[in-house]
Amino acid sequence: MHPDFDVIVIGAGHAGCEAAWAAARMGCRVGLCTLSAETVALMPCNPAIGGTAKGHLVREIDALGGLMGLAIDATGIQFKLLNRSRGPAVWSPRAQADKRRYGAWVRDALSAEPNITWLFARAGRVLLEQGKVAGLEFEDGASVGCRALVVTTGTFLNGVVHIGDVQRAAGRADEPPTQKLAESLRGFGFEMGRLKTGTPPRLDRKSIDFSRFTEDLGDEPAVPFSYLTRAITQPQIACHIVHTTDLVHDLVRDHITQSPLYNGQITGVGPRYCPSLEDKVMRFPDRERHQIFLEPEGVDVDEIYVNGMSMSLPAAVQETIVHAMPGLEDAVLLRHAYAVEYDFIQPTELTLGLEAKRVPGLFFAGQINGTSGYEEAAAQGIMAGINGARRVQDLAPVTLRRDEAYIGILIDDLVTQGCLEPYRMFTSRAEHRLALRIDNADVRLTEVGRDIGLVDDKRWAHFEARHSRLIVNRYRLSHTAVTVEGIRSDAARALGRPRVTVDDVVRAGCVLELDEAREVDRATLEAECKYRGYLARHEVQRTRVERQSDCLIPASFQYHGVPGLSNEVVERLTMVRPETIGQAGRVPGVTPAAVAIIAARLAR
Amino acid sequence: MAIATPIGRGGIGVIRVSGPEALSIVLRLTDRIGLQVRQATFARVLADDEDEARPLDHAVVTWFEAPHSYTGDDVVEISTHGSPAVLDEVVAAVVRLGARLAEPGEFTLRAYLNGRIDLVQAEAVADLVDAVTPRQARVAVDQLEGTLSGRVSAIDQRLFDLVAKLEASLDFPEEGYHFVRQAEVVDELSAVQAELSALLADGRRGRLVREGWLVVIAGRPNVGKSSLFNRLVGTGRAIVTPIAGTTRDVLTEVVDVEGIPLTLVDTAGVREAGDDIEAEGVRRAVEAVGAAALTLVVVDGSAPATSEDEDVLRSITSPHVVVRNKHDRGMLPAWESLTTDVRGRAGIVDVSASTGSGLGELRRLIAVSLAGSDMLRDTPGISNQRHLGCAERAAASVSNAVAAVEAGGTEEVVLAELGDARIALEEMTGRRTPEDVLTHIFSHFCIGK
Repeated sequence: MHPDFDVIVIGAGHAGCEAAWAAARMGCRVGLCTLSAETVALMPCNPAIGGTAKGHLVREIDALGGLMGLAIDATGIQFKLLNRSRGPAVWSPRAQADKRRYGAWVRDALSAEPNITWLFARAGRVLLEQGKVAGLEFEDGASVGCRALVVTTGTFLNGVVHIGDVQRAAGRADEPPTQKLAESLRGFGFEMGRLKTGTPPRLDRKSIDFSRFTEDLGDEPAVPFSYLTRAITQPQIACHIVHTTDLVHDLVRDHITQSPLYNGQITGVGPRYCPSLEDKVMRFPDRERHQIFLEPEGVDVDEIYVNGMSMSLPAAVQETIVHAMPGLEDAVLLRHAYAVEYDFIQPTELTLGLEAKRVPGLFFAGQINGTSGYEEAAAQGIMAGINGARRVQDLAPVTLRRDEAYIGILIDDLVTQGCLEPYRMFTSRAEHRLALRIDNADVRLTEVGRDIGLVDDKRWAHFEARHSRLIVNRYRLSHTAVTVEGIRSDAARALGRPRVTVDDVVRAGCVLELDEAREVDRATLEAECKYRGYLARHEVQRTRVERQSDCLIPASFQYHGVPGLSNEVVERLTMVRPETIGQAGRVPGVTPAAVAIIAARLAR
Repeated sequence: MAIATPIGRGGIGVIRVSGPEALSIVLRLTDRIGLQVRQATFARVLADDEDEARPLDHAVVTWFEAPHSYTGDDVVEISTHGSPAVLDEVVAAVVRLGARLAEPGEFTLRAYLNGRIDLVQAEAVADLVDAVTPRQARVAVDQLEGTLSGRVSAIDQRLFDLVAKLEASLDFPEEGYHFVRQAEVVDELSAVQAELSALLADGRRGRLVREGWLVVIAGRPNVGKSSLFNRLVGTGRAIVTPIAGTTRDVLTEVVDVEGIPLTLVDTAGVREAGDDIEAEGVRRAVEAVGAAALTLVVVDGSAPATSEDEDVLRSITSPHVVVRNKHDRGMLPAWESLTTDVRGRAGIVDVSASTGSGLGELRRLIAVSLAGSDMLRDTPGISNQRHLGCAERAAASVSNAVAAVEAGGTEEVVLAELGDARIALEEMTGRRTPEDVLTHIFSHFCIGK
């Protein structure tokens, strides 16, 4: 089959857009297959990007040369730096997005990229030649050739939307699911699972009396996501906080049997960190009230997202419940809340490069791999795009380590552990949290992005300047004596003390080169000094552990017959096929003793 | 398959067969008896020679069904008569039926791998087998029963609860929750610190029980060091083992004193040898005193002090007991002033190595000065160096965490320390904690917008 494209990406959500962008910037001819230009980079759920750990992912995508950080900086309407009162390792940006402008910005960026061709069609069947990906057949029977295929179809595999007892096959609110592609993928014998997620109702702004709510404002000045952004210039808006009442809780309890979540109609597993209103009321009966945020979906749209009120109760009950909320008595529901069930591919089917072990050239990224969240999707998307391009270029896949990036943790967790519920990133998943910060994602990853051809000259020049400032500043901090808080010491040591800031040591006479427009130079210096002891210790641990962890396990390694391994361990390892000893140790059910046996076997 | 009883002739000999085929092998070995789980059953053991089944012995056979067995696999134990010849024949017959001889410690390894026992317990098995004093055996049994593991898990669980709350504060800053207050953090950490300190204190005692302390006998020639050595060895002789790090130039014995195994070192013998060896011997004696947990400084109480006596008494500032020997010949009053008020002194005792008088008091003094007076209290604790190292690391990390909280460090820094502490505790038992911090958080708090 003639390869019309190097890489075809199915789906133009957050994963698909990053995948297409990355592969195209790396020099591949990319076909981006989606149903409509109107739903590119859509935010079907909350109109926000970032949050704890998610903000870290966006910074890493940006550092590699991805789109998400720039897109939200251009279209965000309320920015916050979460955890500001804590140390720099856990600062995380979050922003409300103008969702229409966000989608349009990403679509325009992709359209302006000459290597990307839009394929507005419904994907049908994966075509193989000699067991490898050779092309994509559309639902109408037409086909195009390619050498790598990235599937990012989100909740569209066998999607079923539930509102009370009303069910319909759909991947999102009113969009039909992808049946033919689902059959094609099932034909490969992938292990599949079923998950559930939900979204709250949307209210008409004009029908709400905002004067009755607490206003929730963003930071001033706003901290941007991208290393390239100097400042956020577009106007910022307020969100509002409401609380549920006893009446609301009673209504939920009264109608609980009509909730598909509680009457057995839904069998998929939902995310615990994003509980539905039903879960909040039923599982935490002692809590007097729950916090609900009213978030505008854009500057000039009427839809208000009711964050914290996802549910699957019947439409009429939803109206009663919303109207029972103080201040929402007259609110008009523009769209009802719904729950959606969908199939996902157990990500243990994938390599660390996100390629299907069963089908060379076939990559998966995003919600189809069992994750939730735009940022988690985009993070996988950029890596799948990179590795799709690497396959076309006959180069080894790029994988990031757990101590190198949250993206590395995300993918390692997915392919090693599989998913039992929709996977969301948290900082507590990071063993090396103090080293994986939003201020140093560029120091960790921009060189990687440059080496593979994803980071352009502009970003590279910006990074080089920043990196040389960092080196100069590190030197000056450790070679300038200052007196701060009445204590004479070198500036690095002074900055290491809890309440001392970069500005304090500058005032005390340490001359530093800082990009005054951005926060990041200061943050890196402060973090490196404040965490110095910990970072040094982790470095020692890391290198000690790494010697063993990075030891590769050949793909042909036979677990069966290794004395001392239980049948269960043999089975798990044979399925997951860990690529390193370190990964083997993270496979559920594999004991440290079993790892020792495998390591000994490999050493022979 | 392995012979589970010691080499040599005994009343009975036990052959243990473990693995998925254990039952079928043993059934073929015997005259096809009906075995009930965990019921000792009489059987004839047959040698499966060419065409004829030749009876080897009468035996009692017990089947332990997986996973309720020592190794976690199917285990069948065959108790035969204890003749080495019979055992050899039965072993050969079992091998012919497809079993293989287990490697040393393999059954315990299987038990560990099958999750039947944790690392502490596995190590305890080895300790129990090697125990030479009743007290050593007791400590090993306590560990085998998981008492220590339980204690470590309780500490780890306490840390875990705190870690989950601190993690929640970081990952869910916008929930409107106060997951944990600083005062609570400090209180919890202090409690954990106290538990770890207690574990360590018991552990030092436990280690003493397991490994024994080095006790050196020093003093100028002819004060009766060798007689004292022989006295202590003769009455409390436990087992003779070559001790690593010492040589035949220095006499050593493992002795049981009040249930504590001591490695007793006599720096005597060498002195009487030729000049070359003497220099070497003196060097070794000085080294031995340096490494000793306790030194017994022997003087001749019936003879006037010499300058050599005074040198020895002055030079030893580490813990020591002054033993005024030859008590039976009468004590010179001058010794009273010479042997009081010296740094490191744990006590003075008058003995007679030749009659044995005062030896009981000396033994008690040795035990008390090594272990503290509560030595005789039984507390299951840590008893090997690896465990002690892990507990020390955990304690250090918790102290650092307390210091971090007090210095105004925020959650992520405290968590870095507590993470290290938990790794150390988990290394101790070799168990990976199955609980997931996030699961804990979600089950306790209503998280999420």
